[in-house]
Amino acid sequence: MKRPEISVVCPLFNERENVTPLVEAVVSALGDVTGWELVLVDDGSTDDTVAVASARAREDSRVRLVRLARNYGQATATQAGFDVARGRVIVTMDGDLQNDPNDIPGLVAKLDEGYDLVAGYREERKDHFLTRTLPSRVANLLIRSLTGVPILDNGCSLKAYRRELVDRLGLYSDMHRFIPALAVGTTGARIAQVPVRHHARRFGRSKYGLSRVWKVLADLMTVIMLRWFRDRPLVMFALGSLVTLAIGLAFVLGSLAIPLLGTPGVHAVVFPSAAILLIGLSLYLLMVGLIAEVAIHRAAGTRTPLARELGGRA
Amino acid sequence: MERSAPVARHAPRGVPEVGVSVRGTSPGEAPVLSVIVRVTERPARLEAIYAEYAPAIEALGEPYEFVFAIEPWARKLTEPLLRLAERGEPIRVIEFARAVGEANMLRYAGERCRGQILLTLPAYHRVEAEAMPELVRRVREGADFVVARRWPRSDRLITRIQSRAFNAILRHLIGHSTNDVACGVQAMRREVLTETPLYGDFFRFLPVLASREGFSVHEVDAPQHPEDRRTRVYSPGTYIRRLIDILGLFFLVRFTEKPLRFFGLIGGGLVFGGAVVVAVLFIQRFFGGQPIANRPVLLVGVTALTLGAQAIALGLIGEIIVHLHASRSRGYRTLGATGDEDAEPPGPGDA
Repeated sequence: MKRPEISVVCPLFNERENVTPLVEAVVSALGDVTGWELVLVDDGSTDDTVAVASARAREDSRVRLVRLARNYGQATATQAGFDVARGRVIVTMDGDLQNDPNDIPGLVAKLDEGYDLVAGYREERKDHFLTRTLPSRVANLLIRSLTGVPILDNGCSLKAYRRELVDRLGLYSDMHRFIPALAVGTTGARIAQVPVRHHARRFGRSKYGLSRVWKVLADLMTVIMLRWFRDRPLVMFALGSLVTLAIGLAFVLGSLAIPLLGTPGVHAVVFPSAAILLIGLSLYLLMVGLIAEVAIHRAAGTRTPLARELGGRA
Repeated sequence: MERSAPVARHAPRGVPEVGVSVRGTSPGEAPVLSVIVRVTERPARLEAIYAEYAPAIEALGEPYEFVFAIEPWARKLTEPLLRLAERGEPIRVIEFARAVGEANMLRYAGERCRGQILLTLPAYHRVEAEAMPELVRRVREGADFVVARRWPRSDRLITRIQSRAFNAILRHLIGHSTNDVACGVQAMRREVLTETPLYGDFFRFLPVLASREGFSVHEVDAPQHPEDRRTRVYSPGTYIRRLIDILGLFFLVRFTEKPLRFFGLIGGGLVFGGAVVVAVLFIQRFFGGQPIANRPVLLVGVTALTLGAQAIALGLIGEIIVHLHASRSRGYRTLGATGDEDAEPPGPGDA
């Protein structure tokens, strides 16, 4: 079998009613024009999603099913789909039919203009405003300003990737929310955005709620710090170490100045102690930086940079 | 979680393997069931273990083998076993060159034995042999992993309270639902052992780790053996080690993939508290004109900031390691995929 042009990756978790309409929607959107495959990833569903999906996979050789041993979450499920997808272009979308497969050709066309990642953004959201749309707007604003990656809608799963980018992403934990920031931060991917349609959920229940707020914040901090520290951790840690050392030395100066000023009733204990703590922290950060460097060094050679040929002859 | 390389690769070279013979099978026919006996602490007479459990296994009517995994100090104990093996009993003895711990013993022995169903026992009498067929039957009926629970128990109240407390802590911290993790009598499909990352002292938590890999874990009541009824009060060090084990497991289960969430929460809280204290002091100093060099609370603030920064830095190291590892190893287990018969998909490491 020839390698398909497009792989559509869809994580499914308890989406039994949605599987069949989803497959039909993808078939009608992509038709027979290009070679494509649909990779359904069952993320440990407890209903009969697997039965329905494997029936579809048997009927149509372009539909494939990967079954995970338990519920791992969207990021890992998406990564499992990436690992078996064979297309030159990989498209991710939600399994709940809120994305429209008819948008896929547009995303792929944009990708072929020379981008590594094309993210969809939902112009008109069909979700509950207070619990879904508003938190999402606030989160997107926060993510935009903190990561410096101008993504309008991080929560929209409909995205198209070059295979080369997917091979370098390595999604884990809950990192699916920050794919663009992660991709830019770790590989320097070029990103474009395209408006996409959004439908209200027809079947099943949403698997998200407001409880994820602190997790999102922690993950956001992770993405930002990874971006700063990932490539040259020693430099960043040494910088932190220097700043701490400077503050520590300021306290040393302060404690030296006190006896000279001769302020009555002031014991020269607090400032020297603070200085010791801070200088200790400074050394500690330097050592942590060295360990980080070791970790990076051990992984050297396993990561190739993202690149493309613009033209010319070999 | 680090998917460690097969133990065999790290296994001491020149591990002697002696006394291989399989009863009830023609040569070349593999046993269906392998019983692995981990000989570590306070072993009973090994031939007595064999004599007690073999008839119950024999009653299943399928080819089987007993594999005794020993450390060098236990070599003397295996002499009667080797004599039995020479007489044609299905006994194998695997001796490790040094003490490698129950987890490594089980993994390595699991790789070397031939049955598709594994039953593992400690080298002392935990439960009555009559419970063995039920364990194996449950695996054959489709369970991935079946743990024996000593029930009904007939030992002293103090021992039972210890066991209860241990399992209750485990249940509340880890959210695991079996009742007798320490029993150590388990039957499983071979895949459980080969696909569950297992190392160090985590052997006793194999049910927890296996269910995290998506294997179905069941519990079967097995009557407690009379010899297991001794009151056991351990040294304080043992209790501390158990608690450390649980702490380690708690971290592994909850935060292996996201260390910065754990350390970031602790560190972020400390940094925030410290920053508030220091900010208040500096406002007092520069706008209120109050001296701060004699205020010990400044030390509290600076200490909190320092500890917080250290926690975040550690979490960051963990996160960098996880992140670097993520693109090379699969952090999930599949139950198979359709449509990939023709070509091996390009793995993330091939790029």
